Amino acid sequence: MDLNKLTLFGMVKGRMAWLARRQEVLAQNVANADTPNYKPRDLKAFEFKDYMKAQQGTTLKAVTTSPLHMSGSQRSTSAFRDEENRSPYETAPDGNAVVLEEQMGKIGETQLQYQLTNELYRKHISMIKLALGKNN
Amino acid sequence: MDDLLKTLRISAAGMKAQGTRLRIVSENVANADSLPTQPGDTPYRRKVVTFRNELDRATGIDTVKVGRIQTDRSEFQKRYDPSHPAAGPDGYVLAPNVNTLVEMMDMREAQRSYEANLNVLKSSKTMLQQTISLLR
Repeated sequence: MDLNKLTLFGMVKGRMAWLARRQEVLAQNVANADTPNYKPRDLKAFEFKDYMKAQQGTTLKAVTTSPLHMSGSQRSTSAFRDEENRSPYETAPDGNAVVLEEQMGKIGETQLQYQLTNELYRKHISMIKLALGKNN
Repeated sequence: MDDLLKTLRISAAGMKAQGTRLRIVSENVANADSLPTQPGDTPYRRKVVTFRNELDRATGIDTVKVGRIQTDRSEFQKRYDPSHPAAGPDGYVLAPNVNTLVEMMDMREAQRSYEANLNVLKSSKTMLQQTISLLR
């Protein structure tokens, strides 16, 4: 049985990938909290379209048919798009627009949502186990 | 590489950059009274850290790096002390252009950024652990 074919497990997978990617983007913002001219980034909200993308697997890559072909550097293999925050809370005189409080809030939010997704996964596994008839 | 593992790398890079900044601050504070020994010599010149955003080609992540450590070009302070060996004919000694108040503020800022990176690291670690505990 492929668990990913069950809607909920597919959804959990997509959501987890999105949350992990968002955590990476937010960590980048915090690490660059003192870099001049750095603008914070964030992922676009997780939508049905993203879920479909996550279902289809990763994005298409060029096929290398000859050993002379170069694969090229893959800057981002993620299916989710990140965008610059156009209206930051405030911008420091050196052009840096990262507000640590804002970023920490977002990170807390991401962590909570990740936990929720995890718990959902666990609950559904236990439901399947129940259907299988084993104890717990 | 997994997104969450990338996050750990990014946070570690941020902490390392802030650690370097703190080292420079302590160098400045320690040398706040490093006066010249002969008339005409220059005293200790304050150092300044710069940060820049850099793409790590191996992993494809944007991390923060410490750029070249530069010196503060501002003017030296002058202290009236005719008995000092480095005093000029007017009785003034050149003193380092270090302002301890500014250094203290810089230190607090570095500390704050370091803590923020540490919290991101903790948050990502919790998320990873939650995923691992699904196996139990």
